[in-house]
Amino acid sequence: MNRRRALTVFVNSAVALIGGGLTAVLGAFALRTPRGENAVRWIRAGTVADLTPHVPVPRVLAISRPDGWYRQRARETIFLVWDGDKTVHALSATCTHLGCRVRWDAESTTFRCPCHGGVYGLDGAVIEGPPPRPLDRVDVRIDPAGTDVMVRL
Amino acid sequence: MNGAFDWLQSRTGVRSAKHVLLDEPLPAGTGWFFTLGSVLLALLGIQLLTGAFLTLYYAPTPDHAYDSVRFIVSTKPGRIVRGLHYYGSSFLIVALALHMLRVIAFGSYKAPREATWLSGLVLLALILSFSLTGYLLPWDQRAYWATVVTINIAKLTPLAGELVAGLLRGGASIGALTLTRWYAVHVIFLPAALVGLVVLHLVLMRRHGISGPVRPHDGTPMPFYPWQAARDTAVVSVVVVGLAALAWSGAPPLDGPADPTDATYIPRPEWYFLGLFQLLKYFPGQLEVVGAMVVPGLAAAFLALLPWIDRGPERDPRRRPAVILVVMLGVVAVSSLTILGWRDRPRAAVASDAWTLREIGGRVLANAGGCAKCHAPDSTADPLEGMALARGPEWIRGHIEDPEMIAPGVREPPVERGEREVAALVAYVYRLARQPYPGFPARTETAAAVFAHRCIGCHVVDGDGGTEGPDLSHVGSKHDAGFLRRLIADPEAVNPNAEMPSFERRLSSDQLDAIAAYLASRK
Repeated sequence: MNRRRALTVFVNSAVALIGGGLTAVLGAFALRTPRGENAVRWIRAGTVADLTPHVPVPRVLAISRPDGWYRQRARETIFLVWDGDKTVHALSATCTHLGCRVRWDAESTTFRCPCHGGVYGLDGAVIEGPPPRPLDRVDVRIDPAGTDVMVRL
Repeated sequence: MNGAFDWLQSRTGVRSAKHVLLDEPLPAGTGWFFTLGSVLLALLGIQLLTGAFLTLYYAPTPDHAYDSVRFIVSTKPGRIVRGLHYYGSSFLIVALALHMLRVIAFGSYKAPREATWLSGLVLLALILSFSLTGYLLPWDQRAYWATVVTINIAKLTPLAGELVAGLLRGGASIGALTLTRWYAVHVIFLPAALVGLVVLHLVLMRRHGISGPVRPHDGTPMPFYPWQAARDTAVVSVVVVGLAALAWSGAPPLDGPADPTDATYIPRPEWYFLGLFQLLKYFPGQLEVVGAMVVPGLAAAFLALLPWIDRGPERDPRRRPAVILVVMLGVVAVSSLTILGWRDRPRAAVASDAWTLREIGGRVLANAGGCAKCHAPDSTADPLEGMALARGPEWIRGHIEDPEMIAPGVREPPVERGEREVAALVAYVYRLARQPYPGFPARTETAAAVFAHRCIGCHVVDGDGGTEGPDLSHVGSKHDAGFLRRLIADPEAVNPNAEMPSFERRLSSDQLDAIAAYLASRK
C-alpha cells in the first residue's frame, strides 16, 4: 500500500467514524423512547354504589399522562356495566368504526354510534352497522374492600 | 457500477464537483498550521447539526423553555447532544482565535486576500452573536441575568441606547418577546447568515488559493486530497475526540429557573466574555461606555483595517515586528483580562448539595399539609417530584396560600399557613425540582419542621435564617441536648435575661426532644 492510498484510507475512515458517531448520537436523541408516557395504571372510576345492575353507567375519567415536559390530561369516556353481583365490565365509549363517541340508548338497550349507525349490545358486541369489532374492553376490578371500582387505563 | 457513476456524472457533474472540491493544488510546504480552517468547519458543522436536533424538543417560551431543556437532559443522548452544543461553542471560540492568529502571523490577509479577511471578521462577529443569543435560551437564572447585563450594556450605545436595548429586548422588559426574538435570531437569522458567509469565505479562499508558507518552498504543489486532508482529519479527529469526551457527561447542570424577582443572583458571563466583563470594571460611571464600546470598537477597527495598515508584500512575521508586537500585546491584554476576570468572577451562591433545614421542614409540611391529595401521579395536579417549575416563587407562594387561585371549586378551603411555613414549602418545591429527596431520619425531619416553623425567624443554621438570635450551626459544641431542651422549653428558667419566648406549650414533648437532639448534634 503506498502512502497516498494509506492517507486516503485514513481520511475516509476517520470521516466515516466521526459522521457515524454523530449520526448515532443524534439518531438516538431524535428517537428517544418516551419514558412512562404509555404507562397504564389502575385509576378509580367510581364506587359500586353508583352502579345499577345491567345499565351502563358512563364515566368521564381524566387521565394524566406525561407528554414531554407537559403533563397532558386526556379525557376518556368509559361505560361501567355491573351484573348486580361481583362482576363489572368496563367498555370504552369510542366506536371502533371511526372513533365517534357511542351513547347508551335505554329504550333499545343498545349502544348507538351517532356517526354511521353502529349499534352494539350491552356486552359491546356489534349488532348492526359498520363497526369492525366489538367495543374495546377496559380492565376493571373492584378493590378488595368491595367499594371502589378501579379501571386500568 | 461505473455505468451508474457515468450516468450520475453526466446528469449532475458529481465527479467534476469532487474534483473541484478536493483536488485543489496546495503550495508545497502547506503544513499543520493550515488545518485550523477545517477544524472550524467541522466544529461549525457539529454546532449546526446538534443545534438543529435540539430544536426538536426545545420550546422558546418562558413557561416552557426551562422545563423543555430539563426534559432534553433527562436522557443520556440528550445530555450528550446538549453537551456537544454547549462545549462546542467554547471549542469554536478557541479554534477561531487560533485561526485568526495564524492568519495574522502568516500575513495571510495581505493583498489580494483582504476580502477573505473581512468576511472572516464578520464570521467572528456572527459566532459571538450566536453564543450571546444561545446563552439565554435555557432560561435559567444564569441565562436570564447574563441577558439583563447584556441589554444594560447595549443601553450605553451613544445616542441610540434605548433604541438598541429595545431592539434586543423586544418588549418592555426581558420576557417572552425577548426569548422568541433571541431564539429566532439564534436558529434562523444567524445560521442563514453564517452559511452564506462561510460559503463566501471558502469561495474567496479558493479564488485566490491559500496563502501557504510565508516563503515559497521547493517542490511541486500537491492536491488537497488526501495529502493536506490527512493533516486536517488528524487534527479534527483529536478535537472531536476531546469535545466528545467533555460532552459525554453532558453540559453543566442548569441553574434554577429564571426568576426576575431574585435580587441576590449574581450574573456570570460565559468565559470568553470574561475579558470584556473585566474591562468594564476599569471604566466606572460615565466612562463605562469606553470599556463597553470604545475599546472593543477600536480593536475591531484595527483588525478590519489590518490589511491596509500592514501593507507591502512581506509576510514573514520576523520582518513585520510592529504589527506582530501590537497583536501580541493585544493577545496578552485579552488573556490577562480573561484570567483576571476568571479569578475575580462573582461566585455563584453555589447551591450546596446538602438540604437545608428549611427545605427538609418544607417536606414535612408538604406531607402533613395534604399537598399530595392533588399533587400525585394519578390525581389532578402534577406530582411535586419533577414538577414543572416555570412559575416563579411568588406564584408558588400564592398557590400555597390559596390553591383555588388556579382551579376554582375543585379544592377544599386552603389550610391557613404562616409566612414561614409558606417559605419552607417554596424552598422545598424548588429544591425538589433540582434533586430528589434523599431521605433523612424521622428525628431530623421533625427537628427541621420545628426549626423551619419556629426558630428560623431569629436563628441561623448553615447560613439560612434570621439574625436576631445566635447562630446555631455549631451550638452542639457548647451545649448538650438536655440543656438545650430545658432552654427551649423555658428560656427564663435557664437565663433570667433571655429574650427568647418559651416553647414548652407550643411544641410537643417529641418535638422538643427532636429539636434539642438535633441541635446538640450540630458540633
